[in-house]
Amino acid sequence: MIELYDFELSGNCYKLRLLMTILGIEYTPKMIDFFPGNEHQTDEFLEINPLGQLPVLCDGEVTLRDAQAILTYLATKYDESGQWYPVTDPARLGLVNQWLAFADMITSTASAARLHDGLFYHWIDINKARAGAHRLFQVLDEHLWHAEQDGELWILPGNNPTLADLACFPYTMLASEGGVPLTDYPAIRRWTDRFKRVPGFIPMPGIFPAGTA
Amino acid sequence: MLSSQKSEMYPIAYNTWHVISATDDLVPGKVEQTYLLGEPLQFVIDDTGKPTVWRVGPQAEPKNARAYVNTQLRYGYIWCVLGEPTKGIFEIPEYSEPDRRIMNALSVGINTSPPRAVENFLDMAHFPFVHDGILGEEPHTEVVEYQVDYNEEAGEIWATDCKFYQPKAAMASTEGVMADYIYRVPHPFCAVLYKSSPEDLERMDVISVFVTPLDEEHIKAHLAICILDTTTEFDKDIRLFQQTILGQDKPILENQMPRKLPLDVRAETPIRADKSSIIYRRYLRDIGLRFGTIPEAT
Amino acid sequence: MISSTQTARAQWYPIAASADLVPRHVFDGMLLGQELAVWRADDGFANIWENRCLHRGVRLTIGLNQGSELQCQYHGWRYANRTASCSYIPAHPANAPSRTVCNKTYPVVEKYGLVWSLLDQGPTFPEVAALEGSDCTPIRAIPINAPSEFVLTDLSNEVLNISDLGMFTVQVSWDETVVMTTDTGLTMVFFAQPVDAARTIIRGVSTAPINGTVLRQLNHALNRLRRRIEEDAKNIPQIDPIEPIHSSVRAELGTMPDQLETGEASLRVVVKEKIIIAEDVAQFSLTPLVGQLPTAQAGAHIDVHLPNGLTRQYSVTNGPGESDIYTIGVKKESQSKGGSETLHNTVQVGDLLSVSPPRNNFPLRRDATKSIFVAGGIGITPLLSMAKTLHSQSLAFELHYFVRSEDHVAFRTQLDALGASVILQIGLSPNETSGQLGAIYSKPDSTHHTYICGPGPMLDAARAAAADAGWNEANVHFEYFKNTNKIDDSSSFEISLARSAKTLRVEAGKTVLEVLRENGVNLMSSCGQGACGTCKVAVIDGEVDHQDVHLSASEKSQNSHMMTCVSRAKSKRLILDI
Repeated sequence: MIELYDFELSGNCYKLRLLMTILGIEYTPKMIDFFPGNEHQTDEFLEINPLGQLPVLCDGEVTLRDAQAILTYLATKYDESGQWYPVTDPARLGLVNQWLAFADMITSTASAARLHDGLFYHWIDINKARAGAHRLFQVLDEHLWHAEQDGELWILPGNNPTLADLACFPYTMLASEGGVPLTDYPAIRRWTDRFKRVPGFIPMPGIFPAGTA
Repeated sequence: MLSSQKSEMYPIAYNTWHVISATDDLVPGKVEQTYLLGEPLQFVIDDTGKPTVWRVGPQAEPKNARAYVNTQLRYGYIWCVLGEPTKGIFEIPEYSEPDRRIMNALSVGINTSPPRAVENFLDMAHFPFVHDGILGEEPHTEVVEYQVDYNEEAGEIWATDCKFYQPKAAMASTEGVMADYIYRVPHPFCAVLYKSSPEDLERMDVISVFVTPLDEEHIKAHLAICILDTTTEFDKDIRLFQQTILGQDKPILENQMPRKLPLDVRAETPIRADKSSIIYRRYLRDIGLRFGTIPEAT
Repeated sequence: MISSTQTARAQWYPIAASADLVPRHVFDGMLLGQELAVWRADDGFANIWENRCLHRGVRLTIGLNQGSELQCQYHGWRYANRTASCSYIPAHPANAPSRTVCNKTYPVVEKYGLVWSLLDQGPTFPEVAALEGSDCTPIRAIPINAPSEFVLTDLSNEVLNISDLGMFTVQVSWDETVVMTTDTGLTMVFFAQPVDAARTIIRGVSTAPINGTVLRQLNHALNRLRRRIEEDAKNIPQIDPIEPIHSSVRAELGTMPDQLETGEASLRVVVKEKIIIAEDVAQFSLTPLVGQLPTAQAGAHIDVHLPNGLTRQYSVTNGPGESDIYTIGVKKESQSKGGSETLHNTVQVGDLLSVSPPRNNFPLRRDATKSIFVAGGIGITPLLSMAKTLHSQSLAFELHYFVRSEDHVAFRTQLDALGASVILQIGLSPNETSGQLGAIYSKPDSTHHTYICGPGPMLDAARAAAADAGWNEANVHFEYFKNTNKIDDSSSFEISLARSAKTLRVEAGKTVLEVLRENGVNLMSSCGQGACGTCKVAVIDGEVDHQDVHLSASEKSQNSHMMTCVSRAKSKRLILDI
């Protein structure tokens, strides 16, 4: 049985809940009171993840930390269609990995700004975090706008979304909670609406579901 | 703006006790920082839990006696007043009952004004749309008639006979019920909810929101829990439930424009379901509260 | 700065590309500090609204584009395409929202591949000569953190060098447009959209389609420009954002949740279509002579003022999204006093008629787990609009349509579109009808609601069947065509008006409504016979002599409301809440 060390308000935990729900993977959430409880810094949790970070996933003998790494593990092992993480297609795989790294950059900027505003992480340089998020969103919006001109719906060309979309989606949607509105990025806003209509999609606090298409 | 000018501009807010922090998660000796009514403060608790709060910045040195802020502990929170308090902190008698679980479920920053957050707390009609599957569920959207009274002497608003369909009333409940609510506004930036307890039909759970007015458009909202619950094993589960609720309200509050609460009757459109909010806005007008509000058009 | 903002507010600017407005999406726009919620309805219309639900100020850009309505995320209020008038308030499912609950809309023009608007009254849309008649292709919009004057100056000094197109030569046209032309004859026109005091969006349009490679090159060139302008703009003094103007609601909406509507102007409509859709039933499509028709909520009716001086009420059969037209069905009555007969025989396509704005005294709840519609003959009309509404939201319903014969089935195509939820009951005898009604109502459920409309005897039978089966009266809704009761107006009594502190005398032979109107209380009414419910007034004290067919028995016994056109007093005095 898969166990997910989970925190409801974390976008990185949400990524995993989202993928597992879309793929129909059953799991048991182990809720960690990240804030205000600081449970991720307790001795017990540090033995599970010495970095003191969420999420952590345990699947039998395998224990993994880092949201992007866990996504690739879950998709490779459980997605029979191979759509979400195309391991047999080197070019596509490279692109997905490129955007997974991009998703990590969104976490270190947009998500950091959200922690500053919502959870009072005073030590974060808020102006730098917001400016960094805007730089990334400019790149993503440009990419998605040109993709739309080519008749594409997702970050990678093709008929289906991949982990690239799934990994970038949560903290892009939550960016406004860190004072980074998406007003200047209309192609991103359209893409988030499309992603919300992927079969199996679930919301989280801060992200509302889409209407019927 | 100097503190003295601010206190003249916002006399009501200055002379009222406000929560600045929950004590639950503070580490003795560790200095924390916050804002209150736009003024930067630092605070610390000692080994006995006693808090000390002082102003920081060019106007006040920590060693200067004038920099210390009038402080008291209540309901598990540090309360402060920057000016001269006109009255004490309101009473919540349930806090002295021995069989209650008392905790701070969450303190979260929200980019909105203090009264917008209080008004949202008083609102039931949004449950099926914002807290779908938890506090409400379509198609059960109707808000039936309820009573609201403003007791001028006590300076409190009470909304009674409130009922709303709830698919999952709390951690302890499993199926849909018509939940009973009583709302109380004993303070311009605090509201108290009394809700039928799934544990004991004769008694009510008490869930309060205490809002720290960081400035006019930024708040820290604290959810204070005082409930009868013997079935939920961990305090954590109760906290996580409330965190979900507040996490769902946050994007709504941060997308309300303008952020400050407009007191002009023509600014927004109330309906019967908004009786509590109509009376709350009237009360803010009557007491002359300016902090975080937009006054009536003249 | 303030005066220049005011001038700019009365000027047309592009605020989006037409292609930005994809189906079922809400575009987040901004012009001169004013936030805009921009959405395309399923009928293709581009709505530009103030980005604020007028209930509690929540941005509509976080709401849902439901195709013909925009739904607010906070309390689920729905606003209709085009008019922005509120069509449904879930917290009060039994009440029709007042038509004056209406969001702020801005004018829209779609031209040259762009969506244009202006914030205040201004000139008609000016043509852009360089783009007229060409196959316009917008390029990617570039947001820049700098004031628009600053951006325009830099842009007009720019020479774009696109390898596939060669060099552009630049020409600055009317004050806010930059036109660039290549030696190959391709022209690019650039507009600067002043988003806020220090934010601008450059929107470029090419006069001919360009391929993806060139689009990317243009985007790179404009990005270089953007970086340079933003670098330069760091040297200019900081400018405060423009203070947005939040529009106010009408005074009566702010103060009194239960307001009294007063009389209102009639609408001039043209008969666009008249077709016979069943035995003795004609369908009339009415379009506005000028402007836009107010949105008709499900169940609403209009008063039609006929050329012969008569006024008749007809339910609007529109579903959500059918805007800019009212469709009514008129049955030719054998004992017509000249209403239906005039419409059938005299009124022709192209004729001008005067109608009232739609009024809804037969509101549809959308909080039922199932709705059962029972229509008899022409009683189908209000129920058809209700069924279309529920169908568009995928909510459960059954529509039982009782008709004399196949030839009497009206609105066939529209009914077919509703699928298996429509059940035709053709040619049943009164006994068979009763049997069917018994079956329809055999499973009462407090979360089910039923709506009945049809001839009096059939309606009575349906109500009786529901009551016999144990249906709650509050879940049974009905609308009579007419009041066949004999009205007794022999009593005389006093009425006191609580809010206006007046006491008036109602003598035998006069109605309460007439006395109110003679004394300056402009109460709306419609059918004049106690059927439609328009002249309903709240009663604070006194015993009402109910003579209408609008209220249910329990509503009558509650004594809390009365129909002023027919009902009177049993007590000496009535105190009315007006």
